Amino acid sequence: MSQDTAVTKPASERGRIKGVHQAVVKWIANLSDTYYAYLLLLPTLITVGALAVWPLINTFEISLHSNSLVGFYGDFVGFENYVNILTGERDAVLPNPFFSLQNPLQSGLIVTFVFTFVSVVVEAFLGFGMALVLDQKFRGRRWIRAAFIIPWAFPIVIQGMIFYIMFTPGLGFATELTEWLPHLSRNALSDGPTALLVVIIADIWKQSAFVALIVLAGLQSIDRSLYSVAEVAGATPWQQFKLVTFPLVVPSLLIALLFRTIGAMRIYGQIEAVTSCAVVPSLSCMVVRSFDGGAYADAATIAFITASIIGTVVSIYLIKYREV
Amino acid sequence: MSQAKSDDGLVAKWANYSMRNPKLVYRYLFYISLAAFLLISLFPIYWLFVIALTSPDNMSNIWFLPRGFNIGVFIDIFQTTPFHWYVLNSLIIASVTTALVLLFASLAGYVFGRMEFRFRRPLMLAVLAISYFPAAAYLLPLFRLLTGNISVFGISSPDLFNTHIGIVIPLLGITMPLAIFILTTFYGQIPDGLEDAARIEGTTRLGALFRVIMPLSAPGVATAGVLTFITVYNEFFFSFLMNDGEVSNGAPLVWGMLRFQERFQVNYGEMAAASLVATIPIVILVIFAQERIVSGLTSGALKE
Repeated sequence: MSQDTAVTKPASERGRIKGVHQAVVKWIANLSDTYYAYLLLLPTLITVGALAVWPLINTFEISLHSNSLVGFYGDFVGFENYVNILTGERDAVLPNPFFSLQNPLQSGLIVTFVFTFVSVVVEAFLGFGMALVLDQKFRGRRWIRAAFIIPWAFPIVIQGMIFYIMFTPGLGFATELTEWLPHLSRNALSDGPTALLVVIIADIWKQSAFVALIVLAGLQSIDRSLYSVAEVAGATPWQQFKLVTFPLVVPSLLIALLFRTIGAMRIYGQIEAVTSCAVVPSLSCMVVRSFDGGAYADAATIAFITASIIGTVVSIYLIKYREV
Repeated sequence: MSQAKSDDGLVAKWANYSMRNPKLVYRYLFYISLAAFLLISLFPIYWLFVIALTSPDNMSNIWFLPRGFNIGVFIDIFQTTPFHWYVLNSLIIASVTTALVLLFASLAGYVFGRMEFRFRRPLMLAVLAISYFPAAAYLLPLFRLLTGNISVFGISSPDLFNTHIGIVIPLLGITMPLAIFILTTFYGQIPDGLEDAARIEGTTRLGALFRVIMPLSAPGVATAGVLTFITVYNEFFFSFLMNDGEVSNGAPLVWGMLRFQERFQVNYGEMAAASLVATIPIVILVIFAQERIVSGLTSGALKE
């Protein structure tokens, strides 16, 4: 009985709702393309605006104030934080210098750049190799491809834990290996340079597959008839690779490297999971540590420095290799 | 002369033979690299099994075989912690985020890919540029916004700490740019004629988007969806920030893993077993979606 009343509304109300609905439909239909576009973009603009654009601006704003013990904003100090942090005059909340450098920000920069350079270069080679293998036709390719991709889909905590256990003295086998190699500490995870190496290895394990995935997509979009032409012209497999495959796959390789560079320069989770930010202080690590220490202005300043560096690198990439 | 030839070592013989049969050499190279890559990819996962199966009192210097066969550990993890709830929380957060991202990014992808209007390029670039910045750069303001410390026109933001939504919302902002990037190129490639045909039959633009354009771009939608799902399921940063780790507060997987470290002695076997269980959903997704991802990246996302 009560259900009946809920379903059948009074005729007048139904008519009114229908009228409103029709009016809305008519109003939308009469919108110009530009306003219609903005209407459809509204959810995206609100989400991205509130969750990304506003926070970035706010971070910048906070970085122009001094550290405060009570709230988020201290006194307005302009670019003083930037000057202090870039010249290494604010060490208190930042992690210990790495490679015994005097300036913590310098060590953050060095860790971030060494990590990014080494891991992205190795990932490019490994990923390219994987993609070349996967591009062949062979039995069981589906399963092998899945096996290659799985490390990339591993959660960061778990990836970190695998390498943490592997390199923990007395637990995993890997510390016995590092003992044989020169210049490597047996206590791999608490020694800066060695721990950085372990983090790099962990990242290569996970992210090579990502490069492989993108390059493979590029390889598979190559027109196969080009190979028939090359074969008729008498090109050896190596020449086919050098003259057909490689030039055509370079654009996808560059996209993969761009994504990887951005990802590597933001590195935080892997470090925290494999060793700790105190041992390998990347730029993002320093932000989080300052935040945890309540130095919000320092956190905001380093965050903005990091963001600017990434923005610059990305812009150079785009200007040099792709017309946007 | 012939004497010299028979004196050639094995290596020289092999080299001569391979010069005459390059195809064969390439085949061997292929198998060798295939094996090497498989070893690199799968060894750490295999080793995780070894750790899981080793009983706690034998846990030292573990090489390549488990000491003991402690299969019960896969049941123990659910008894010592409510581990299944952590996994479930992560699945809920990932599914909700993926659904919302696909919906919003579809609208944006339609607009950016198929409509001409003022500020199209600058808006698109602005949305994409967001993905350059480290999550750490959003940390402070987002934390304040989502814990009810920001007020707009006298209305303070809701406190979403310890809720699923509190993790979903920041991840929306972070995962959306890539989804928009992929969907824009896909939707832009659908011929106008197909949309026009649907429009002539009286469908609205949105009707055409959801009934014609989206189904035709299925590989792209699948790619964007899978990438978003995997990113969110594996996320680290905001999962930590926006939760205190209680399973009843919607704590995701990251916290579930930490539970095994909280006792006096870390139980590495249980931690490894839990890791393996936690990756099962993602492994299944990868196995079923891999072809879609590659074909999705091939036919759309990379062509822009």
